[in-house]
Amino acid sequence: MKSTAWGIVLAVIVALLAALPWIGNTVLVQFGINVLLLATLAQGWNIIGGFTGYPSFGNSVFYGLGAYGVAIAMVQYHLPFWVGMLLGLGLGIAFAGLLGLAVLRLKGHYFAICTLGLALVMTAIVSNLEIAGGNIGLVLPLLRSEVLFYELALGLLVLATLTIFWLSHSRFGLGLIAIRENEESAAVMGVNTTLYKVLAFMLSAAFTALAGGIYAYYITFIDPVGVFDIGLNVKMIIMAVFGGPGSVLGPVVGAFILSVISEVLATKVTSIASMFFGIVIVIAVVFMPRGIAHLVQHIKRAGWRYFIDNVRTHRL
Amino acid sequence: MDNILEVSGLVKRFHGLVAVNDVSFHLKRGEILGLIGPNGAGKTTLVSMVNGTLEPTEGDLMFEGQSMRGVPAYRRAHLGIGRTFQVMKPFPGMSVLENVSVGALFGANGGEHNLGRAREQARACLEFVGLGRRIAQRADALGGPDRKRLELARALAMKPRLLLLDEVMAGLNHVEIEEVIEDIKKIRDQGISILVIEHVMKAIKSLSDRVLVLHHGEKIVEGGTDDVLRDPRVIEAYLGHKRQ
Repeated sequence: MKSTAWGIVLAVIVALLAALPWIGNTVLVQFGINVLLLATLAQGWNIIGGFTGYPSFGNSVFYGLGAYGVAIAMVQYHLPFWVGMLLGLGLGIAFAGLLGLAVLRLKGHYFAICTLGLALVMTAIVSNLEIAGGNIGLVLPLLRSEVLFYELALGLLVLATLTIFWLSHSRFGLGLIAIRENEESAAVMGVNTTLYKVLAFMLSAAFTALAGGIYAYYITFIDPVGVFDIGLNVKMIIMAVFGGPGSVLGPVVGAFILSVISEVLATKVTSIASMFFGIVIVIAVVFMPRGIAHLVQHIKRAGWRYFIDNVRTHRL
Repeated sequence: MDNILEVSGLVKRFHGLVAVNDVSFHLKRGEILGLIGPNGAGKTTLVSMVNGTLEPTEGDLMFEGQSMRGVPAYRRAHLGIGRTFQVMKPFPGMSVLENVSVGALFGANGGEHNLGRAREQARACLEFVGLGRRIAQRADALGGPDRKRLELARALAMKPRLLLLDEVMAGLNHVEIEEVIEDIKKIRDQGISILVIEHVMKAIKSLSDRVLVLHHGEKIVEGGTDDVLRDPRVIEAYLGHKRQ
């Protein structure tokens, strides 16, 4: 019964979020689009980073490919938006599949560094592609309908979260967690680790690319440095890790909380704002390395000792 | 097809070091074969080549008449080879039940795809090894002996036809060793063929139909348990030369 209660609460929250454009003002809706897209990116990262345990710094590449898919389809070929979304989705998934086969052989720091390089390489490549507008970028047709973008972003986030809910209750998801916990053991017990890792990377890429596609049409102008941005990748990692990697709702909660705080700081106390994410990383790593989701589950029983125990067990 | 496993001329070199040198043996269906030898003799390396964690440098092995050359570890698990690790490799962040469920979900023939039924199978395996009351605990909260039991349960949940046990009794006390010996006999009675690496001689004596002895990566003796344990070469391998 507890899970049905949860389901109802979440459905109400989603309904309220969906109704926001009719309640709030334009500024709130614009802020909402950004938060929803960031939350989707955090969820996308959650699949490869949180569940599978591969800390990807290459997800911004999928975001960029999704954005360029829409931009190229609409600007160069005058195709409708949804065709561009499909193009971006296809590019993201195909790239993740090909790339995954190569780089998912690496583990831990090596994987992180390798994927970190990819974003830089992609910026350089796309800057020299004529079809992508070179380093000047592309200007998309203007569609003044923030409500549409908002609802699209919300729909995508709900889809991503439902997918992750399914992951956490499925054979496939348990296989991914097994890979995260001990890859050699997983293989010995019958998990096709290569296939599973690549599929997880492709699934992660799918949501990230779709978010990039919505962003491109919403913002109407994209250039290589803007959409293949490592800073964005760092943000999605912080949000997912702060919220709780490997949990269903953690990354969403993390994205909402951190976005609101960073927005308030940016308008009120500009001097601290740029330090904000740095401070969050330090606090999260020292006091709650398993994120909000874990904190909420354990703080009741452990109280303040929860933080002290974390400091102790991780020897900081 | 009498032999479930046939190993011929298996060699494993790690750069200059020859860990396993030209080892051949077979395992009959329903048999328990003991694998003994001093530390560093190459026992774990040999087992790792059987289950596919390591690829042999030379030689081949046939499982149920099928060559395992180039067959990855997860495929061998699907075909029915299960193993435990001497240095236990549980999934630390998962519960004990989830740990074993992975075996049930992905083991022989690709495993049981239904999550609920896989959990039931996992629960039965945990009851069998005596961990029934610890299913909700995290695996890294278990003590040494319980981790050994968890390793065994995880391998059993895969429903293997060949089970490779790498020192499942190390670190257990006498009572616990007796329990595991009885467990292994019951597993064999289910028709599962077993290769057991063990330093506990009591276990080797009461379990093995035959024994294979490795020393410096080479097979020095193979045969009936009592004969092998009395063989002077085996005694020498373990205890060294008598001073003249």
